[in-house]
Amino acid sequence: MFSVKGVIQTMGSKRTLNIWVVAIISLSLLLIGLFLHLSVGSTIMNIHTIFNAIFQIDQSRETTIIQTLRLPRTILTVMVGAALAVAGALMQAITRNALASPEIFGVNAGASLAVASATLLFATLSPSMTVYAAFIGALLGGLTVYVFASGRKMTHVKLALAGTAIHLFFSSITQAIVILNERATDVLYWLVGSLNGKDWTHVQVASPWIIIGLAIAFLLSRSFSILSLGESMASSLGERVQLIRLIGGLLVIMLAGSSVAVVGPISFIGLIVPHITRKLVGPDYSRVIPISALLGATLLLYADILSHFIVYPYESPVGIVTALIGASFFLYLVRKERLIKQ
Amino acid sequence: MVVSLLFLLVGCNSKEASNKDAKDVTESNSIKHEMGTTEVPTNAKKIVVLELSFVDALQGVGITPIGIADDNKMDMIEKLVGEKINYTSVGTREQPNLEVISSLQPDLIIADVQRHKNIYEDLQKIAPTIELKSRESTYTENIDSFKTIAKAVNKEAEAEKRLKEHDKKLDALKAELADEKGKSILTAVVRDTSFQGHTASSYDGELLENLGFEIAAKSNEAYVEINLEQLSTIDPDILVLAQNEGKLVIDDWKSNPLWKNLKAVKENKIFVVDRDLWTRYRGVISSEAIGDDLVKQLKD
Repeated sequence: MFSVKGVIQTMGSKRTLNIWVVAIISLSLLLIGLFLHLSVGSTIMNIHTIFNAIFQIDQSRETTIIQTLRLPRTILTVMVGAALAVAGALMQAITRNALASPEIFGVNAGASLAVASATLLFATLSPSMTVYAAFIGALLGGLTVYVFASGRKMTHVKLALAGTAIHLFFSSITQAIVILNERATDVLYWLVGSLNGKDWTHVQVASPWIIIGLAIAFLLSRSFSILSLGESMASSLGERVQLIRLIGGLLVIMLAGSSVAVVGPISFIGLIVPHITRKLVGPDYSRVIPISALLGATLLLYADILSHFIVYPYESPVGIVTALIGASFFLYLVRKERLIKQ
Repeated sequence: MVVSLLFLLVGCNSKEASNKDAKDVTESNSIKHEMGTTEVPTNAKKIVVLELSFVDALQGVGITPIGIADDNKMDMIEKLVGEKINYTSVGTREQPNLEVISSLQPDLIIADVQRHKNIYEDLQKIAPTIELKSRESTYTENIDSFKTIAKAVNKEAEAEKRLKEHDKKLDALKAELADEKGKSILTAVVRDTSFQGHTASSYDGELLENLGFEIAAKSNEAYVEINLEQLSTIDPDILVLAQNEGKLVIDDWKSNPLWKNLKAVKENKIFVVDRDLWTRYRGVISSEAIGDDLVKQLKD
């Protein structure tokens, strides 16, 4: 019998590491990251204080800091990191394009535009409304790029060009809104992407979307794998290509949209993490999606820890750190992999 | 196309202006400033300024500018000067309108070195331009700018007199604030998602230090982003807040025990102040007004 697994394994003929080794190493990195992230702030706390604060409720200042400020920020960092990385992996599967990611695809720029205009138009916008605005914007951005890039054959070059153009177009409208508005400095800060000052309210707003989005992505990961083989191959294997694509697109909007709504368009996580993951575990999406989630969370944790040290002990947006890491990685990718083949 | 036309227009105007200058003005002063040295006619009367602190400086030597980059907010200028004055708005400080500036045919333009570095050449074509430190400048730099402006408009004697008065005023304020000497203070701009503390290297930080306070936030950066955790670590005696309208980040903080345990909160030493005065104007007159405001807030 024709085995799906076989096809995928032959696809990933290159040397890859054992999935369990990768999983255990990334999990330990994540755990260390979690501890460091909780430990570093205006003061450094030791592991004893952190455990005390989490498991023994007392009235001390450290406990209050951990419980009301650091813990929600850490949880949000993990969720957003995972969400952005999985969104990127899904986009690369749907489009079969290594360059696809929420930022290249205009999803982040669209969501940013929508959130920026919504915040400036309606002074009292509830956080959950911001999320809906981000969804609409993300959908709009993604669709626009898709329409321009698809027609006949969607090549890497076409996608990159259309994506960059739409990204710049949306960003310039956002800029215009920002320049013409009094209260814009707020939005400017948000546009860099920052986890500073996020508390349980933000966790509450983003978590349902991110958790449901990630769960569906994990469940359907096998289908995305087949999708990445190409349309004809996928339909010959009995997959309903259009339906899977649609679900994938909706997941991307849910994951990237809710992240952008809460923490701003943190860049490059969605692009670099799936890449690293495929390098490590091969192209099988039932592996790529969970490992991407793990590595995305880990990367954003460490980036946020680094962001503390830019103007220590004060805050700097984590977007600066991810942009620095991401840009250098992107250039490396372009040189190394000769992405633009067609 | 449009841009080149604009330049042509600006070029023509400046030619006219310089022709006129050649007829009317014979003498000029060399003024050293952030972008070089500029020859400024000694009897410069029509002055356009592109930052608020320059309005303050000119006011200090008894001159009213004919054009101000006022962000199209006449009442902000009225509040700064203390009365309604006659001037033409030349647009925003961020992007002043060169066409309007040129139509005013000024004798002198005073611009901010940070915001207007890139249009220095264009401004020079319109009229003699000096660029000085204003935005994100320290208190000392601001006083230096005041002196340079006084020299440029040939009012050095007046400026010296004004600065003496200023020192006397600061001494008087210091005496009034003697009880508060050595207390730590933090000024912050509060917005929807950010709480930006002004450090000892900021304009108002340096001013408050001169008045005998200790600035709670220290950094080489003038402005730093502070969250509730850091605020509770710094824990200043006095908290001065310049707030945005609408939703504020501290609205969420107020229910947190960390906020309730702040010294400034417990002792009711939180003051919400005018944002224009405390963070936008800068200058000799405004710094005295800041001091007066603080005395008033602390005594109430």
